[in-house]
This record gives sequence, C-alpha cells and structure tokens, in this order.
Amino acid sequence: MNLSYLFTELACRWERSIAGILSVAVGVALFISLQAYAGGYRLAARAPLAEVGADITAQRQGDVPETFEGIVYPHSVAPLHRDEIEAIAALDGVEGVSEALFFWSFEDDSFVAGLGFDPEADFGPGRLKVGLVEGRFLEPGDRDVILADASYATQNELALGNSVAIAGRNFEIIGLIDTTRAGQVANANLYLPLADAQAMSAVAPSVLSVHDMRPDDANLLFIKAEQTQAEAVVAGVEKILGEDALVSSAESFGEQLGSLFALIDRFGILVGLAAFLFAAAILLRSIAAGIWERRREIGMMRAVGWRRSDIIRYILAETIAVSLAGGVVGLALAGAITLVMSRATVTVPIPWELSPTPHFFPGGATDFSVVVPLAAQITPALAWAAVGLALAAAALVGLWLPNRIAGIKPAEVLRSE
Amino acid sequence: MSDLLTAQSMHKSFGNVQAVRDASLQIAPGEIVALMGRSGSGKTTMMHLLAGLEKPTSGRILYQEQDITPLDEDALALWRRANIGLVFQAFHLIPTLSALENVAFPLYPDKISASERKERALARLEQVGLAQRADHQPSKLSGGEQQRVAIARALVNTPGLILADEPTGNLDSQTGDEILNLFHELRREAGVSFLIVTHDDKVAATADRILVMKDGEIQ
Repeated sequence: MNLSYLFTELACRWERSIAGILSVAVGVALFISLQAYAGGYRLAARAPLAEVGADITAQRQGDVPETFEGIVYPHSVAPLHRDEIEAIAALDGVEGVSEALFFWSFEDDSFVAGLGFDPEADFGPGRLKVGLVEGRFLEPGDRDVILADASYATQNELALGNSVAIAGRNFEIIGLIDTTRAGQVANANLYLPLADAQAMSAVAPSVLSVHDMRPDDANLLFIKAEQTQAEAVVAGVEKILGEDALVSSAESFGEQLGSLFALIDRFGILVGLAAFLFAAAILLRSIAAGIWERRREIGMMRAVGWRRSDIIRYILAETIAVSLAGGVVGLALAGAITLVMSRATVTVPIPWELSPTPHFFPGGATDFSVVVPLAAQITPALAWAAVGLALAAAALVGLWLPNRIAGIKPAEVLRSE
Repeated sequence: MSDLLTAQSMHKSFGNVQAVRDASLQIAPGEIVALMGRSGSGKTTMMHLLAGLEKPTSGRILYQEQDITPLDEDALALWRRANIGLVFQAFHLIPTLSALENVAFPLYPDKISASERKERALARLEQVGLAQRADHQPSKLSGGEQQRVAIARALVNTPGLILADEPTGNLDSQTGDEILNLFHELRREAGVSFLIVTHDDKVAATADRILVMKDGEIQ
C-alpha cells in the first residue's frame, strides 16, 4: 500500500475527504454524546443511594395512627419483620443489608426525627461517620447514647454531654454529625443504636395501634446489590414485602427524572445507531461519488495490472483513513458536547417516605430532592466505541465496494474521450 | 523465431453488433505492427482483446505460446502487469501524482521497497528523456512530455509488448514524430514489440508491417 499516494489523493480531493470525515464525525459524536448523556443521568439516578453506599432501599407502606403522639413511623411506613429481612439478605445478588429504624417522636410541643442504625455497617447510615464533626461515633454495644445533627443541635442549643429525651428515655449526646456530608437519604435529627430504637418502638402505643411491631423489626433497609442483578433484587424484595412494598433504586430514581431521560435511556442506542447509519450512508455516497469521478483512474489501475483485490484494498484504505479521521473528530466533538453537558445539574426527586420531615410540618410538603452534577463523561469504552463505529462505517462501505469496482470496465472508461 | 503474440480467429460481439470478426494476427519479438482502420472499424476493440481488457466472444490469444483466453480477470491483470504496456491517446496519467509517481503507479501493488520502486521508475523516466521533470505533475508537462511519461509507465515492468492506441493522436506532428522515434529506439535497445493502433498513414508508415481493419475484419 502506497501511503503517499493515498494521502495525496485524500488531500487533492479535500472537499470529498472533508465531507466523508464530517459525516462520520457527526454520526459518531451523536452516538457518543447520547450514550454519555444517558450515562450521566444513570449516575445521577444512582447518586441519592450512592451517597450512603447502597443500591436499594426497602420500606413497606402501613396504616396511619389515629394520633401522632410519642413514637410514630414516618409517613406511616410499617415494620419489616426479621424473617423478611433474612429472606431479602439471602436473595441472589444481594451483597449486604443494613437495617435501620426510622421514626418520629412527638413530645408535647416538640418533634424530632430519629434513626436507629447499626454503627458497624459500612453502608447505609453507618456512612454518617464521615460527617462526624465533634465527639465520637456510635460503637457496637452502645446504649442510651445518641448522635445529633449539628444544625439541629445548634438550633436547639444542644452540646456534647447534654441529655435529650425521646419517649421518656434520656440519651446522652456523644457526637455531632454534619449530615450534609452524608447525603439526603436517611437524614434525621438524632441517631441512636438500633437496639434502643427497636426497644422504644416495640412499646410505643402509636406504633402498636397500627403495626405488628416485634422487638427485632426494622422499617428501613439499605441493600447493596451486584449492579448486574439490581433489577432482579428489586423484584425479589417486592415479592417478599408484598404489594405494600416501597422500593427505591437507581431505576426508580431514573423514572423520576422525566420522559426525556427515559426516552434516551431506552432508545439512546437505537437513536445513536440510526444517526450513525445515516452518517455511514453519507460516507457511502461520498465514496461512491469519488469512485465515479475516478472511474478512469480505476480503469487505468486495472489496465496497468492492479488486481480487483488491489483496488478494493486501496479504496478501503482510503475509506478507513477517512472514517478513522471522522471517528477522531467525532470523539473530539462529543468531548466538547459532553463538557458542556457536564456543567448542567440534575435534580433527583427523593420519595417522600425517605424525607425526615412530616408532610404536615412547614416545608414538609415541599419536594424533597438531591441536586447532582450531570456527570456525563466519555469513558474508555465509549472512546473505543467511536473507533469501532468509524471502522464499522468503513466496513459497511467495504461490503459494497467489490460490486462497485467490478462495475467499472476499463475497456469502456479508457475508450471514451 | 516463434511469435510473441498470436491472435487466432477472434470474434467480439456487443449485443447484435459484431465489433471484431474472425480476426487473426501475429506479432514477432521486436516487431512494430500498425493496425489501421477508420473510426468504428474495430481496431480499439481488437487492441483491448489483445490486452485482456475485453473477453473475446470466441477465438484465442497466445502470448509466448501460453493461451491467455481462459484466464480470469485477476490472472489477466497479473499477466498484463508482467508482459504488456499500454499507451493511450489521452495519456490517462493520474493528475494528483508527479511524473515519477505516475511511472511507478503499476508497481504500487507489488511488495517492493519504496526506494526500489523509485529507482525503477526513475530509470524509465531517464529512458524517455524526462528524468529532470520527475517531480512535475501532469498539468505542468506538455502533451509530448505527458505521452513520454505514459510510455515510461508502460515500460516500468519491462514488458515484451506495448499496445499503443493512437499514441500520437493528441500531439502535434513534430512531437508525434519524436514519440515514434522513441518507439523505434526502445525496439532497438530493449527489443520491445509494438502494436500501434492508428488511423494516420504517416504513423503506420513507420511500422514494420501494416494491418488494416474494416468492419471488424483484418484485411
């Protein structure tokens, strides 16, 4: 293969070369940008749970008590029993389950949102450890001690060593937590050992009036699942918890992101491929026109002894050079588009069952959401896809080349003057 | 001495039109043969048949006693590359390539080094007296120079036979004479045979033998 001839031809027929390069570039850029956009949204949909290191949360819808006095389960979620928790932990694809008990406590004229959790778990509320700003974190075996949200503590003039009462029990504040560092999901005012929360709930009249609460129940599960099996785990959890199951996952957050994302997520690859095929068709047209213009030159190749395979290999090399250049330009174009996209933010609505504030409180009915950057990025896999698409465009042209070249009869094209 | 090329009872039809009818000819090594005839007499078709650019409807062609008629397109291309040089009235040079690159053009599919390719092409350009114009593109060369480049291209694989279709047709008479002299020089120095397709009596007169075609038949 004479590269000097190849590049001389491409340079001398620069208009056709640029048209071919741009057509592939636009197709590749559209395909890559759409995938990067969908990928960014998928990451955004994962963000609320990723902040606490989980992939899925599970709750169950329950009944509303007649009075809101003492300990009440938020948004009337119901307990999850031990056998159900164990069944969920045993599902295929589940890597771990972190239990929590989320509650509201109404005391005379005050209200507090509390969360009991296992401090040993390295995901779920256990992640709050990163937000510790003063004092110490909960440890296994702790009782009658509590962590306070730093802003809640400031508002209520609470400090380390102070005592706070929940349902008639006193707890000593041993640490202050900046919950904004640990995400929006599982936010509360006070955090306590799971066993203390379970013990208080098991005797709370408002809980017992509507729920079959057992001493080792929880009402909020954080589940870590294998990415490839997340959907199957969601289905398994829903089956175990029945029709009242409230399950949040990256997919359910994604569904909250609106129809545009849903369309791109579902049809992004199809639309991208359609754009790419359109680009390949334009490339084909450009190469076809180039071959028509050069039919005498191709006839001359045959006349001086080039085999048909020599000519096809040469034209294919030209096409690959144009396609690869288009792939590189398309990748750069997609990079620019992605850079602009990544400056946007995505507001991910959080299910109100995970909100710490009762809806009847001021601000409680407002939408609860997480705002995250649209982390659209061109991954190495997408970059390789650009190269692959460019080569695929050349391959499509290559499929058509033999017939086209065979159609050029040297005796005809060299005769006519 | 056996003939370099022999065509036996060649027929070529395009639909209902018989372009070549029962045409036979022989070309001896080092011989210059003129094939004359009016426009439409079938002489260019005959030349294309001899070059393997067209398949005959019937008849056969022997080159150095090898029957090339049954060869497929690729085999014919390789045979042409090794044995035949083609020269056209319109030169058919690649406009984007230099004179040297045009001469080297038939060698591009060969697995030889760029330096060897350049060396061989330059030697042929020297042979036709154009080494000093090696870097010029066809558009920067006169008609005579372009035809010399085309002849150098035809010679680059050291063929035994050059088939030239109206090689002086686009040239003034003085330049045409120079080209014909070059053919005789090449015959003398390298023993190359020529079949010159022409309708010009003056050109035909320089050949060793003249064949005349009329209505597809060699008279």
